[in-house]
Amino acid sequence: MNIVTKNIICKNETLTLTNHRAVYWPKQEMLIISDLHVGKAAHFRKSGIPVSTEVLNNDLERLKQLLSFFKAKQLMVVGDLFHAGINNEFKIFRNWLDTVEKINLILVKGNHDKISSEISDLFFDWNIFTTHHISPFNFIHESLNSIDNVFQISGHTHPGVLLKGKGKQRIKLPCYQISKNQLILPAFSLFTGLNTKPPLEKVINYAFTEDHIFELI
Amino acid sequence: MSSKFLESEGFKIVEKHFIDKGHKPFTFQLKTWQSIGNNYSGIVVAPTGFGKTYSVFLGVIIDYLNHPENYKKGLKLLWVSPLRSLAKDLAKAMNAAIESIGLDWTVAVRNGDTPTKTRRQQERLMPDVLLTTPETIHLLFSQKNNSRWFKNINCIAIDEWHELLGNKRGILTELLISRLKTLSPNLKIWGITATIGNLEEAKTVLIPYADTKTIMITAKEKKKIKIVSVLPNAIEVLPWSGHLGASMSSKIVPIIYENTTTLIFTNTRNQSEMWYQIILDAAPDLAGQIAIHHGSIDAKLRNWIEDSISEGKLKAVICTSSLDLGVDFKPVDCVIQIGSSKGIARFMQRAGRSGHSPYETSKIYFVPTHSLELIEISALKEAVKQHKIESRLPLVLCFDVMVQFLITLAVGEGFLAKEIYTLLKQTHAYAYLTEDEFSWALLFITQGGTTLKSYEEYHKVIKDEKNVYRVKSRRISMLHRMNIGVIVSSSMLRVKFISGGYVGMIEEYFISRLKPKASFVLAGRVLEMLHIKDMTVYVKISKAKKAMIPSYNGGRLPLTSHLSHFLRIKLADALSPSIRERELKFLHPLIARQGLHSHIPKANEFLIELIETKEGYHIFMYPFEGRLVHEVMAALIAYRLSKITPLTFTIAMNDYGFELLSDQAIPLNEDNVASVVSKNNLMEDVVGSINASEMASRKFRDIAVIAGLVVQSMPGKRQNNKSLQSSSGLIFRVLEDYEPQNLLLKQAYSEVFNQQLEEVRLREAFIRIENSDIIIKRSKSFTPLSFPIKVDSLRNSLSNESLSKRIERLQKEALKNTK
Repeated sequence: MNIVTKNIICKNETLTLTNHRAVYWPKQEMLIISDLHVGKAAHFRKSGIPVSTEVLNNDLERLKQLLSFFKAKQLMVVGDLFHAGINNEFKIFRNWLDTVEKINLILVKGNHDKISSEISDLFFDWNIFTTHHISPFNFIHESLNSIDNVFQISGHTHPGVLLKGKGKQRIKLPCYQISKNQLILPAFSLFTGLNTKPPLEKVINYAFTEDHIFELI
Repeated sequence: MSSKFLESEGFKIVEKHFIDKGHKPFTFQLKTWQSIGNNYSGIVVAPTGFGKTYSVFLGVIIDYLNHPENYKKGLKLLWVSPLRSLAKDLAKAMNAAIESIGLDWTVAVRNGDTPTKTRRQQERLMPDVLLTTPETIHLLFSQKNNSRWFKNINCIAIDEWHELLGNKRGILTELLISRLKTLSPNLKIWGITATIGNLEEAKTVLIPYADTKTIMITAKEKKKIKIVSVLPNAIEVLPWSGHLGASMSSKIVPIIYENTTTLIFTNTRNQSEMWYQIILDAAPDLAGQIAIHHGSIDAKLRNWIEDSISEGKLKAVICTSSLDLGVDFKPVDCVIQIGSSKGIARFMQRAGRSGHSPYETSKIYFVPTHSLELIEISALKEAVKQHKIESRLPLVLCFDVMVQFLITLAVGEGFLAKEIYTLLKQTHAYAYLTEDEFSWALLFITQGGTTLKSYEEYHKVIKDEKNVYRVKSRRISMLHRMNIGVIVSSSMLRVKFISGGYVGMIEEYFISRLKPKASFVLAGRVLEMLHIKDMTVYVKISKAKKAMIPSYNGGRLPLTSHLSHFLRIKLADALSPSIRERELKFLHPLIARQGLHSHIPKANEFLIELIETKEGYHIFMYPFEGRLVHEVMAALIAYRLSKITPLTFTIAMNDYGFELLSDQAIPLNEDNVASVVSKNNLMEDVVGSINASEMASRKFRDIAVIAGLVVQSMPGKRQNNKSLQSSSGLIFRVLEDYEPQNLLLKQAYSEVFNQQLEEVRLREAFIRIENSDIIIKRSKSFTPLSFPIKVDSLRNSLSNESLSKRIERLQKEALKNTK
């Protein structure tokens, strides 16, 4: 896996963007992702739509490589760690967690994270919050209208950009969306769509491919 | 005609009914009646307005009267038509006939509009005659114990078969007939069709059964069509589409006043909205007497419009192909076609919407949107005269429809693999299905994919202990029933007044790009968008004078290959038109200019223009093969040229030809042209020049929905299965990554080659070009043929107002340069 990185400064903190839908915060030794949607493929299968469980395995494999690349001590998921009710893939995820090195696990709940007691028992090692503040950042799944002096890091929207070329060429790429007071992460799972509707606010997009991260204004 | 039949009781009763009504049966009706009496199946070919319905329907009645012992209680005749709206009026006519003959038969309609209560009643006791659609029958197949309704059925009639043949609904029809034939082996199958180019094939596709006697009955009666072209006041030697609009309205309004009711056909929904405004502006007193009708207008409103046409309350209706078919509107005595119909069959069908009774003449006016279109009308006239009509080619081996059908049966009564394989193999669509492909489909619906371990929770269809394939989960059954059918519309939202009342539908793509409080036009009204909730757009009447007219995907029809053939001939003729061809005579200044500054290609010539302007270096080529084929050809030629010198091109096209534009000199000349347009390595170069995977991904959209891989959200419905939302593009990627041998992917690629790239037509075009004399002309300014293509390319990048100005400037420059 070819990991490309790009450092940006937010609120005087260095954040490292990667071309694999994850941000690393060196000061906290923390990997930040959003929208992993564990159990989504299985939920589809249960409803009669055959989506291979390899989708999840692939996501987890990428996550493992990112964690070891940065030697991260913490993993922060800003929402939609899970997709719907509990199913087999939750167990696959549990087993996977048991194989990676012990790190501090934080979940800021998203709209998909319906945490039943069964789920909270199975994932006892996670610290679960509705929002979480580690100065200078506020972690929340769905960003609120911008509040002055608070910088939000969130997910939820699955941001993407649509690049138009000559002769009807169109490419959609996932991106990080950064405005004055917030950073929106792309969805980590590859089994997610892209929202390319332009945001209302003025933003800088960092789109990426297999070997590049580039800035689009 | 055998005297025995003519003397039969049933015939005499029905003939008396006819004569009492003041009619005399046509020969084709008599023939059909007798053939049904002799246990034949077949197809009836007759123009609209000649009582096609009565041929098959009364044939069954006569047979019943003569042999009541062959008919059992319950469903006897199943009448399938492609349009819901046809059923209501047909049922009325059938009921009237039954009453006057004095039979105790019941006739009922069943489709998506039928209330649940009525449906339940029908399920308890089926009527003798059921009028329905292919989708509704498949829905019946998904019910428990459904075969009891069909096992005594005597005859199935497929109305407007030509409309179903050639698309996936045709396959739904083939499949349902095959199943009914299995349930009721003596089933008679009758198709009713308008004239198409491949009638014999249409019959075989409908009735491929060796044990069935078949006959084709063609009416000798011909519909007379009068085609009048409406000429603009002055000829424009550099034509461009859309420009003639307003000036032509002064010619359209008098036609509307002269006739009782006029149908005005446009090619797209966008154009119909535009012309509605243009006509109202030209004749404000027509307000309230004209209406607009297209597929995105609310069904209730459309029904009201259709009723108002029947009652003669409207002077004119601006419509799209939404009114190509349907009930016969008696008051309609005139049809106007705006812009080329792009096909011969479509043109004749539309003309036939006026002057409905048998011996009336259909009158159609053709209004060109730019002067070159007059060549198309001349070509259309010639084609109509020679009676050359396009074929509808049947689709085969669509795995998406097959997968849907298998699950439908599994939801219903369940199926045995061997029986269904036989059932599939006896249809035309799946005659070449292999055992491997069938096994793949069974694997796909039972375990999802080839590696069982990756699909553990997938139990869509289960093979039970008796080897019967069944769907056990109620939720999966429900999701599947919602999904039956093969018409996939792009994601639409309903448009509703905040004060109540629906206006119609609008594409999500369009509305998502509008800001709140923006105005748009729908159903002839200017609306202001307020907010969106539950897949519904809430609006109020806007005071804005100008508003966006939504464009709908897939709006443009390409020229059919039949028409393009006549077009090439007419263009060559245009230099010396005969006295009778007023369109060509009118066009003469334009043609003469083309001849003077460039060249008029004769039927055996292929014209290439190399034009150098301030903008850069242009190549124009004129294959006259329709815009879809041109899109592929342009990409291919660009690819071959860039192999000579690396260049980037901008591509533009219309139905006549295409343009490649580059900022550097293009290395094309008399010496290398033959290799650039050569038919050698054709498909290899096509694959090299396009992004096949991207195109296949787009084709996969319909396939994914039909095969049940994407759950469609229903406009206006609250429950949207949000947790199952995904896009076909996403599923396509996942399958390419983990299940590359999936046959649905293979189908997407073959649809790209057969339909999008029209491989056969493309190959024929290159063979024709290779056998032509290639003429290269060089010029410093645009020619009459190249100008409309140039304009089309500007249209994509500029707003309307700046567009008109820019075109006028281009026109002036081109004229100045050549003076």
